[in-house]
Amino acid sequence: MTSMISHAQALQALRPGADAPMRADGLAVNDLLERFHPDYGAKARVSLRIGANAGAPCHPALAGLLESNALIDDLDLAGAEPLATDVLVIGGGGAGAAAAVTAAMRGARVIIATKLRIGDSNTVMAEGGIQAAVGADDSLQRHYEDTLRGGHNEGDRALIAQMVSDAPEVIRWLIDLGMAFDLAEDKALGSTLLRKKAGGTTASRILCHRDFTGLEMMRVLREAVELQRGIEQLNRCPAVELLSHDDGSCAGAILYDLERRSFVLVRARAVVLATGGSGRLHLQGFPTSNHYGATADGLVLAYRLGARMCDLDSFQYHPTGVAHPRHLAGGLISESARSAGAHLLNGLGERFVDELKPRDVVAAAILRECAEGRGIARDGQTGVFLDARALVAADPDILETRLVSLGHLAAKCGLDPRQEPFLVYPTLHYQNGGVMIDGDGATSVPGLLCAGEVSGGIHGRNRLMGNALLDIISFGRRAGTRAAESLGQRQAGRGGINHVHRWRRALAQAELPADVRAPLLYPSYGNFHLRRTAAA
Amino acid sequence: MNTLNQVLLNPAFQLGADLDGWRAAGGGQGLDAALADPGAIIATLEAADLRGMGGAGFPTHRKWAAAAAAPAPDGDKYVVCNGNEDEPGTFKDRHLLRWTPHQVIEGALIAAVAIRANRVVLYINPHQAEGRAQMRRAAQQWAGTEAVRRIERLIGKPLEIAVVATSGRYIGGEETAVISSLEGGFPFPRRKPPFPAESGCHGAPTLINNTETLANVPHILHHGAAWYRGLGVGDAAGTKLYSLSGDVLLPGLYELPMGTSLHDLIFVHGGGMLEGKAFKGVFTGGPSNTLLTARDLDVALDFDSVRLRRSRLGTGAMIVISEGTSIVRKVAEYIEFFANGSCGQCPSCKAGTFQMARLLDRVDSGRAGPGDIAALRNLCRILPGSGRCGLIDGAVTVVESSLHTFPAEYGVAEPAPAETA
Ligand SMILES: Cc1cc2nc3c(=O)[nH]c(=O)nc-3n(C[C@H](O)[C@H](O)[C@H](O)COP(=O)(O)OP(=O)(O)OC[C@H]3O[C@@H](n4cnc5c(N)ncnc54)[C@H](O)[C@@H]3O)c2cc1C
Ligand SMILES: Cc1cc2nc3c(=O)[nH]c(=O)nc-3n(C[C@H](O)[C@H](O)[C@H](O)COP(=O)(O)O)c2cc1C
Repeated sequence: MTSMISHAQALQALRPGADAPMRADGLAVNDLLERFHPDYGAKARVSLRIGANAGAPCHPALAGLLESNALIDDLDLAGAEPLATDVLVIGGGGAGAAAAVTAAMRGARVIIATKLRIGDSNTVMAEGGIQAAVGADDSLQRHYEDTLRGGHNEGDRALIAQMVSDAPEVIRWLIDLGMAFDLAEDKALGSTLLRKKAGGTTASRILCHRDFTGLEMMRVLREAVELQRGIEQLNRCPAVELLSHDDGSCAGAILYDLERRSFVLVRARAVVLATGGSGRLHLQGFPTSNHYGATADGLVLAYRLGARMCDLDSFQYHPTGVAHPRHLAGGLISESARSAGAHLLNGLGERFVDELKPRDVVAAAILRECAEGRGIARDGQTGVFLDARALVAADPDILETRLVSLGHLAAKCGLDPRQEPFLVYPTLHYQNGGVMIDGDGATSVPGLLCAGEVSGGIHGRNRLMGNALLDIISFGRRAGTRAAESLGQRQAGRGGINHVHRWRRALAQAELPADVRAPLLYPSYGNFHLRRTAAA
Repeated sequence: MNTLNQVLLNPAFQLGADLDGWRAAGGGQGLDAALADPGAIIATLEAADLRGMGGAGFPTHRKWAAAAAAPAPDGDKYVVCNGNEDEPGTFKDRHLLRWTPHQVIEGALIAAVAIRANRVVLYINPHQAEGRAQMRRAAQQWAGTEAVRRIERLIGKPLEIAVVATSGRYIGGEETAVISSLEGGFPFPRRKPPFPAESGCHGAPTLINNTETLANVPHILHHGAAWYRGLGVGDAAGTKLYSLSGDVLLPGLYELPMGTSLHDLIFVHGGGMLEGKAFKGVFTGGPSNTLLTARDLDVALDFDSVRLRRSRLGTGAMIVISEGTSIVRKVAEYIEFFANGSCGQCPSCKAGTFQMARLLDRVDSGRAGPGDIAALRNLCRILPGSGRCGLIDGAVTVVESSLHTFPAEYGVAEPAPAETA
């Protein structure tokens, strides 16, 4: 255990009124990342042994799930309630809702299946905002370059180009659905959208609704799902396996109805997986900002059916997760606090990084402070300070106007942001990689599309703030459109789980255990077991 | 017995359309032997006890003898290689067509010699695009060869080798449907008699054999009947391609001695049951036969031995089912396949397969009423024998057998008295 500076001592080191000094850093960005970012280092990756990405790197905990056995047997399908539809959307976050609404508007019959209820998702938790190059001083080209650079030049250029080009239309679509964005001037008519700057961007490009943008977005999407004809919702029905045709294409999915405790078999011409991320895997013991449903289910299901993935060893650790009090650990303090001018300080009261650098750099810098003894300890939790005192002093209304959630969070943490800084520590936030898609969300498995955080390739190995909310609507709509095109193309035939049998053979031949079962559906501390009767 | 046979799947023969390579590997000698003594061919096949591998196990020499003896009114006789293969669980012919086209074509040429046929038709499922392309190329390679000239001298006519695409439908593989199809019509089966060997394509005598049957012929002529018989286990003769699939660790195409036991196929060659689950049963032969169960694991997989267990070897397809896999669901899947495959000519088959599929779907999805099982049983009683071809009979057999052997999966406690009797 490295030594830490106590909370009381650290408070004393704060210089009231004065600007905190920036410590000369002395470490090149690459060095910093390699030595301190959790994506690097010995525990960060193994090679997958079976499946479409065999030989490719993957985080060990995720690999354990990807190379796992199915939850169900063929026999479970007997007696399952059979449903049929044109398009099955799995996941009720922003990507899923956008896909469902778009497909239904094009005449497809849609079923949207969610693990909890529609809207219980990472989308509602998004605070900061959404990127779109709509300012006169901005351009699609700059948005493209920022995104590519932010992702360490690893993102798929065609996907990025398409996404940034979609952005203005995405905003228009959301406004048409009724979403409210913050405005630059306080006028009833003729005002322009308020634009904020985000880490890693060269222009002010973040559009937001206060600091609960995702909640507002999900509000209108959820209404659209409710009101749009042709969408049937199956809430509390997590997908436990996909269905396949003999040619390996996707034929639908098997859901587990939590209320009736029975399986539901949905045959579909096209399936859109929009199950979001994997923060609840708590990789390397990190806390997470993600909601309870973020257990990598979509990756597991798609991989078992043969979908190709990318960057499975790349995750985003958000620099400023709550570190104290313990029961709130991992919860996010939005980047909007730093965009507005909040500073990061170590136990010596020094700034140690430009707060608006890309997230991986800022997170690594915080981990370095803690590793090198300049971190702050409080009741067994460690971290650094996020200091918003000067900010609030300069604009006393800000907690009621632009940083509403920050004010609420401070209250929950039992501190007054005017007086005292937050204790923060990086939190597992976003899955950079995922299922590889084309511009329409199509995967390497016919009949299976993906949209949102479950897909990969867009953000390279690091995502910029505000690009996820853009991604989910841009690709969610495109996947919905493409899925609706499959209408009338292929007969929704009887599907089966032959791919599971093939998978079990591959497991046995690679001498991988057959008793690890996934998707997880809920984190282990959720105490959920598909079969209550099992000894588990 | 746990050795692999290496005749049809001999790695040296897996060449694709390469006639020189095939000759270098020993190909062509069967045809030479046939041309040296055409009158002895059929007797050799009889001595070798070669059976039809297309499903029925009918003695090949009897068909050939009938076709040889049949007069040819317009001077034409046909040899048709049936390469339509399109059943759940069977995947042997597609391999032979793709990888050993010359082995197959040489067999067909020997048949032409034996029955004096001037038209050889290679009838290939277009869904197996690569197999069809290889067969096309391979057929062209025979044109103008000395062997073909010798055949033409023997039959006194030009020899035509044509590669024809089937409709790609399951029913198109039934032999009288093959004939309708070659005549340019829909692949509708016809009533027999007349048998194709007497009056087939455009009324000409037509010998139709399965791809695997023909692939055996060159080797028999080359190495002799005694050698071929010796490849089998006990009384069973020759070598067999088994298409192993289902809940086993190592599914695949295995060439084994005819008469290898079911146990050895699954547990020695197939690597045992997937995840070590308990064995439940096997759908054999293109799933249109009586299910084999744990009691039958010792059965020798040859035509006669399997028949003694009241089932059939069929095409040699073995779809293995373990605990955890639903029999009803599988049966429902197969009957749906048959219902889609029914050509619709015979009302009993068209409506019968559809009704059975509907009832099975209800049982499978837990929506069956008490009358549904009784309805299934009634259909099993009235449908058999009501169609022009064997499709409806096969479909009924698998339903009846699963109902009889696995009543609990249908939610029935005991087999009905009429069936136990
Ligand atoms: C705290 C927080 C703040 C964020 N802030 C921002 C921000 O300011 N700007 C930005 O651009 N991005 C932000 N992000 C990222 C962004 O919110 C997400 O990446 C994005 O919303 C993901 O959308 P999605 O539709 O792909 O997934 P989600 O919104 O997570 O939805 C996935 C849905 O699928 C369901 N699901 C999962 N498994 C199954 C299953 N087996 N069966 C059925 N349903 C299943 C889940 O329950 C959930 O409803 C933030 C993320 C978090 C966690
Ligand atoms: C519905 C039906 C479909 C058939 N399909 C095929 C087929 O695809 N290929 C095949 O060789 N035989 C098939 N048969 C068997 C043929 O009718 C015929 O018996 C066989 O081609 C004869 O060749 P063999 O004596 O060499 O086995 C089918 C039979 C039925 C009843």
